[in-house]
Amino acid sequence: MNRNDPCATAVWRRAMHVAGIVAGVVWTHAVLAAPAKPATKLVNVADTRDMLPGFSRWLADVYNESLWSYGALVVVTMVVMGLGLGLVADRLVGLLGIDLGKLKHHE
Amino acid sequence: MDWFTIYLPIAGIHFNVLVLLLIGFTVGVCGGFFGIGGAWIVTPALNIFGFPMPYAIGTDLAHMGGKSIVSTIRHGKFGNVDLKLGVSMIVGTTVGMELGATLVMALERAGLAESYIRIAYIIFLTAIGSYVLHDYIQHTRRQRMPVAQSGAAVPAESFAQRLQRVHIPPMIHCPASGVTCSLWLPVLVGLTTGVVAAVLGVGGGFIRMPALIYLVGCPTAVAVGTDLFEVMITGAYGAFTYGVKGRVELVAAVWMLLGAAVGAQLGTVAVKYVRGYSIRLLFAMTIFIACTSVVLKQLEFQVASSITILTAGVAISGVILWWLVQGVRAERRARRSGSELGF
Repeated sequence: MNRNDPCATAVWRRAMHVAGIVAGVVWTHAVLAAPAKPATKLVNVADTRDMLPGFSRWLADVYNESLWSYGALVVVTMVVMGLGLGLVADRLVGLLGIDLGKLKHHE
Repeated sequence: MDWFTIYLPIAGIHFNVLVLLLIGFTVGVCGGFFGIGGAWIVTPALNIFGFPMPYAIGTDLAHMGGKSIVSTIRHGKFGNVDLKLGVSMIVGTTVGMELGATLVMALERAGLAESYIRIAYIIFLTAIGSYVLHDYIQHTRRQRMPVAQSGAAVPAESFAQRLQRVHIPPMIHCPASGVTCSLWLPVLVGLTTGVVAAVLGVGGGFIRMPALIYLVGCPTAVAVGTDLFEVMITGAYGAFTYGVKGRVELVAAVWMLLGAAVGAQLGTVAVKYVRGYSIRLLFAMTIFIACTSVVLKQLEFQVASSITILTAGVAISGVILWWLVQGVRAERRARRSGSELGF
């Protein structure tokens, strides 16, 4: 993308508008979601009785079957997501026309 | 607002997804910019919204690992991660954290852990914040003085430079930070910050980032990037140990990481537009706010403490995003006029 391209400026401006609207919506919901008293949970059992099949249900089953598998799953999920999201977010920020080359350090 | 409420089976609670995204985004911006994990924001935030404390800590550590990968990738591309320095410090940090944990167990057996640790935390944060602020003021004064008066032609030797002159083999050269020193310097810095981090029950970014600047002699941006590399390792280790203990709510961590990935990217890119000393100033202010929150907790104003830290987190990330927007605008103008950047 040409960084002096007026299209890049338009994309940047549009992205800022969208970000502003999203931030407003999220804030409103966050404020409306009243803070709650912290719950207490003393046993390592996930209650899956009312859960429908899906990702959460599968996670809860792994948790109930083996905590070692669950611990490994936590690390693998975070590493894979971190790498994937890092690369995707990098591309998205690049699309905003920001120069992402090597940085000169100025104190 | 039931549309956004999901059931979190591990913690056994219902929770609003948008709150998770907001917490993740806020801590992502601050973490990417300062090179910290952000446990001081996430843990009280999750707790105040209903998470049991052990789950709040475990879930925070899990998302911290993923978020730090996002920031470390970007800082790495900027050339801000000194791998050699980071790896040297890991050895010291790991040993230091084990020593710190042993000390905490001893204090716990003596029934002194809670209050002693909190008081140590207050003293430590006040000392670091004051030093960083003092350094910023000195720097600003020097900048304002004419060259002849300030002696800018022959700058005084810093404490880090004195430490670098200690020649105890093996010597290492860290190319990204431009530092040549004894291997024992980063190992000892890692050991000390590891002990303090374990005793205070934090990830250590608050301590390691200024230690990298003032003891090892890294440029601010490299200190931020290298510290994030360390946070990535400690986050992954913490995620595993808390996961095995059954104290990580993975669904919540995934949602927080989605928000944090965007925030971390923006916070990291913001470093590009801000001078090192401006990062230090905002860092000092952040430390003072964190310290105020701990004082409030010590005085048993639990809600006031949590609200202080949450509000501060959102406000600080707002400042960082504002700087980012200003920086991008300035960059566009500079491309046209060819002038220099940076606040």
